[in-house]
Amino acid sequence: MTDRYPAYDVLAKRWTESWNEATRKVIDRRLAVPREPRFFSASEWRTLGALCDRILPQPKDRPPVPLPAYVDQKITDGRLDGYRYAEIPPQGEAWRRGLAALEAASQEAHGASFHALSAERQDGLLHRMQQGDLTGEAWGGMPCDLFFEHRVIPDITHAYYAHPTAWSEIGFGGPASPRGYVRMGLDRRDPWEAVEATCGKEEARARRNNSRVV
Amino acid sequence: MRLSPTTGLGLGAILSLAALALTRPPPWARAASGHLPVRVPTPDPGAAVHAARRMNRAAGVIAASVLADSAVEHYRGSFHNKAMVIPLVTATLSLAASLHGNGDRQAAAHRLRDCIYAAAALTGLAGTGFHLFNISQKPGGFSWQNLFYSAPLGAPAALILSGLMGFLAERVRDTVPGQPPTIGGLSAGRVVAAVTTLGLLGTVGEAGLLHFRGAYHDPFMYLPVTVPPLTAASIGHAALGRTHRRRPLTRLWLRFTALLGFAGTGFHIVGVARNMGGWRNWRQNVLNGPPIPAPPSFTGLALAGLAALGLMQDHPDD
Repeated sequence: MTDRYPAYDVLAKRWTESWNEATRKVIDRRLAVPREPRFFSASEWRTLGALCDRILPQPKDRPPVPLPAYVDQKITDGRLDGYRYAEIPPQGEAWRRGLAALEAASQEAHGASFHALSAERQDGLLHRMQQGDLTGEAWGGMPCDLFFEHRVIPDITHAYYAHPTAWSEIGFGGPASPRGYVRMGLDRRDPWEAVEATCGKEEARARRNNSRVV
Repeated sequence: MRLSPTTGLGLGAILSLAALALTRPPPWARAASGHLPVRVPTPDPGAAVHAARRMNRAAGVIAASVLADSAVEHYRGSFHNKAMVIPLVTATLSLAASLHGNGDRQAAAHRLRDCIYAAAALTGLAGTGFHLFNISQKPGGFSWQNLFYSAPLGAPAALILSGLMGFLAERVRDTVPGQPPTIGGLSAGRVVAAVTTLGLLGTVGEAGLLHFRGAYHDPFMYLPVTVPPLTAASIGHAALGRTHRRRPLTRLWLRFTALLGFAGTGFHIVGVARNMGGWRNWRQNVLNGPPIPAPPSFTGLALAGLAALGLMQDHPDD
């Protein structure tokens, strides 16, 4: 993966005027999420971990964003979306049923647990889930494509982009409070925003500027 | 310099002696008309220079306001267009010319100052045109949204006023001794008063637009849309009215407006402090908060108005 915002680390803003006590508290809570399951069982946890690795594969050269932990926390804390499809049960129940059904489909198709499959076989099953082709008792009437589109994708991707590691990766400035934005026009950059390295020769300049962004 | 009758008499006596001592007319008098100008009644030859220096100060205050304001705002605009440095250069030169003019007691226009002031006024004119063009190109054109948040029209207009006031100062300074200062055949005092009136009204328009954008959330925000219009009416009345009056009420309004310009800067400093993060977050709040250097434009215009009243009183034309 090419680094579009070289040397940019949003956490470097921690003690600058870009963040205040409230910001630090929120980010600390987010970084301190427990890495062990509180809602899921051990087997569900393994399936969820493998599922997250296929939805958002992460580079090996940095600590990963703990995606299963965020999904677990969302359910444990009871943070709801404010709506749900009538065919999908409440989020905790939907996840339990979906993970169990995915595991059952894996056993049926390949005679092995989902987390033990090769990436290609995992992708094959997920592709069938997305197409609505997985059926069986375990789904309990929940359409697998709706589960994929409205539970799997949002819960995992929202968790990923709520983490400072993802912010540094995409050049996002982090919370806009207390510091806001001053230059609102298209393609305008405040000095406390990340610099994008658009091509090779610009990388050194971006790296230099990003090490100064606070 | 306001002369008491005794000082005036003494100065008059010295001048008469000096005039007697001169057997031939000085070079400027010969160059101007070929014969000596009419000597009666003799206006104070220092009065025009004094008025010109007051106008230099007025032009300087406006230039300083424009310099600081355009530096901050164009930095905010990341000098996206290379031409955005031009007002910084011309406003700096206008400020320098004003300081030079303030220290200069010669009764003749200075060619370099003249050029600088003209360049400043033209830059302001071009800037106003450019800002107009800029707004017209934005989606929505001349909508409230764009008038509020795009390049402001009033800011480059202030540079016109600085240049114009300095240019007029040079015309006043260039007065042939013994004759009342005129600009384009009109009494210089009336012309400067008229320019001050228009300048005040334009600046009120700018302050009104941006304070409306700020929803007049602080009652003091009404001051620059109430006091300067009354001042403009007063000095405008003076520009058209009879000249040899002291007009204490107009002077009072002008002095209050001058004070208001500086007070505005104080209020804006408080306004920046009230933004989230306050002065600790100055890198954002100086840009995002109320413009600190903008209000002294009122001070500069008020100083010009006071100079105009002085000119009209010293050189009545009715």
